[in-house]
Amino acid sequence: MKKEASMRNEKRAERILGYSLVAPALLLILAVAIWPVIQSFYYSLFDYRLNDPTKSSIHLNYSLDLEGYLQNYPFLKSALKREIATASEKTKATLSDVEQKLGKMDETIRADKEVGNKYEQVDEALNNFESPNEDIKIVELNEQAANQFTNTVKDVVKTLEQLREAGELKQPDKVVGLAQGLKGVIIEPNFVGLKHYKESLSDVRLWKALWNTTLFTIVSVAVELVLGLGIALLINKAFFGRGLVRATILIPWAIPTAVSALMWKFLYDGQNGIVAKYFADIGLVHRMGDLLTTEMGAMFSVIFADVWKTTPYMALLLLAGLQTIPSSLYEAASIDGATKWQQFTKITLPLLKSSILVALLFRTLDAFRVFDLIYVLTGGGPANSTETISILAYKVMFSQTNFGGGSALAVIVFLCVAIISIIYIKLLGADLLSDSASAKK
Amino acid sequence: MQKKAGPLFYVFLAAFVFFVMFPFLWILLSSVKPLSELFGDKAFDWFTSHPTVKSYVSVFVNYPFLRYLWNSTVVATITTVYTVFVAAFAAYAIARLEFKGKAVILGLVLAVSMFPQIATISPIYMFVKKFGLTNSYLGLIIPYTTFALPLSIWLLVTFFRKIPFDLEEAAKMDGATPMQTYFKVILPLAVPGVFTTSILVFIAAWNEFLFSLTINTAEKFKTVPVGIAMFQGQYTIPWGEISAATVIVTIPLVIMVLLFQRRIVSGLTSGSVKE
Repeated sequence: MKKEASMRNEKRAERILGYSLVAPALLLILAVAIWPVIQSFYYSLFDYRLNDPTKSSIHLNYSLDLEGYLQNYPFLKSALKREIATASEKTKATLSDVEQKLGKMDETIRADKEVGNKYEQVDEALNNFESPNEDIKIVELNEQAANQFTNTVKDVVKTLEQLREAGELKQPDKVVGLAQGLKGVIIEPNFVGLKHYKESLSDVRLWKALWNTTLFTIVSVAVELVLGLGIALLINKAFFGRGLVRATILIPWAIPTAVSALMWKFLYDGQNGIVAKYFADIGLVHRMGDLLTTEMGAMFSVIFADVWKTTPYMALLLLAGLQTIPSSLYEAASIDGATKWQQFTKITLPLLKSSILVALLFRTLDAFRVFDLIYVLTGGGPANSTETISILAYKVMFSQTNFGGGSALAVIVFLCVAIISIIYIKLLGADLLSDSASAKK
Repeated sequence: MQKKAGPLFYVFLAAFVFFVMFPFLWILLSSVKPLSELFGDKAFDWFTSHPTVKSYVSVFVNYPFLRYLWNSTVVATITTVYTVFVAAFAAYAIARLEFKGKAVILGLVLAVSMFPQIATISPIYMFVKKFGLTNSYLGLIIPYTTFALPLSIWLLVTFFRKIPFDLEEAAKMDGATPMQTYFKVILPLAVPGVFTTSILVFIAAWNEFLFSLTINTAEKFKTVPVGIAMFQGQYTIPWGEISAATVIVTIPLVIMVLLFQRRIVSGLTSGSVKE
């Protein structure tokens, strides 16, 4: 009995130790990888743009830009006062009405205690020519107040414009300008739901990018697999200089992709590129310049560079798989009179299946999210012919500063990758985790 | 299967090595050409008759290349040390201790290592921007955790699993606590695995491009891959300097690969085959 209890205690202690050792790593992964993916999805539901101040953050509710408001309203108020002092009787009444409307609106805004507080703080900061703190600058409004505000401002602007037309104002442009300045201070919620997805999915550019990505992935991975398997079969024997060959294989894998892309850009160059010249000499391309300036040529160039960089790595993975196949199997097969081809299809391929699938899984995912190689080598061009989905998402996010739309594309990449993984894992069965199969970059 | 290599085999091997190494060879030859021979008629000559180190000098004089090298070294080293440290505990627990949910955790680690970077970049960018970490080392080390940590855990788990379980039993018999077993028995045996993992993580961090491109945009904080890629101006591409810089970053890699090839290969293929 006692022994059992101590065993149980020991088990419990081990469990607790296990969880506490895993916890830091798990928390880090949650914070830096899983949380951002969830947030990407959240961003994709908003019209989120870094270059537009009213959309540079996420607003679920209506809000008021106090800074913008206070840079206009006080000046408008005093300008109106001056106009009223000099205006004709009829205009005076209209202007007073406008002034009252605005005053009432101002009161409504300040009625809320918290908003009123921030109002004062921002006002003070502006009076001291300081820029107010980020978190007091923007205050939330309810929808009704926001609509009321927008309508009032619209009315006021209209009235003032009419007066300007009629030539009733002394400083017409100043007054109208200040009133118009109030138009932009209401920040509408930028929640757009699935609009970005709808737009993306009906955009030919996305489908083109998806097609480019798929083409790149399938062709490069297939070529890499065939070449890699061939090389692995050939070098699966004892020979002089193994170390040198292994080092040769590792170098393309080890150098930064961006650097190798640049190297190929030099070799493909339309005027001075040696590879371009050789390709033109053997008739693979019509003119040297065709490699990087035609759509077919550019796609071929990118795939060729990728094949160069990763075939050796593929060969290495498959070679490791080949070396686990006992040679006795081949001996028995040849005694039974099996041909080399039969040995390959009946022994090598079935026993190599899980190695091949693991290698394919990692290579497919790597190829599908390709970025550096293409970004440096062609930049997605010419005419978006090598633009992959990651490149498109990057451009939308950082060149167009449209974070909402870009995030939607990023989520689409994520979903594609998830689907590909699920297909492979179905094929591999439970092998992957139980065998702790890893074939990592 | 024939296990002896014939002469034809060596011809094939030589051709293979030549094809793989050709781009490097050409870059090396171009890096010592004078500028005038990089273009025009002489562009396709293999050897220059006027070798020069001008391009190499220019890389360091006209570009902050030394700074790029330093930045990459700092970022990759810190990332490696800290992720391998955190991962070593987690991997030990997953490989050697009994507790529920191990398979799920390992599955999660694997899944995260397959995340496309582009799917995490916008929130991470907003995060580092908010905390003023753009153009800083920390601004890269934090995002690099996304791929370095799962990679380290994954590799270390396979290494830890290879250590015989009898050793732990023996330590337990002698009355050692699990932590004592870890530090006194398992960790010393896992040193080669930890070393291999560190090499692979270091290479991955050294080569990273997308985060570095978006987060550290100031010259002072660019890493090598982004720095070299940005050598190209709007209208001209300084091929001489690019060749020289490529040679400079490739040579240490070649040395490292020659020294550690066995380890790197064991890390790359560990567990991808049944043992």
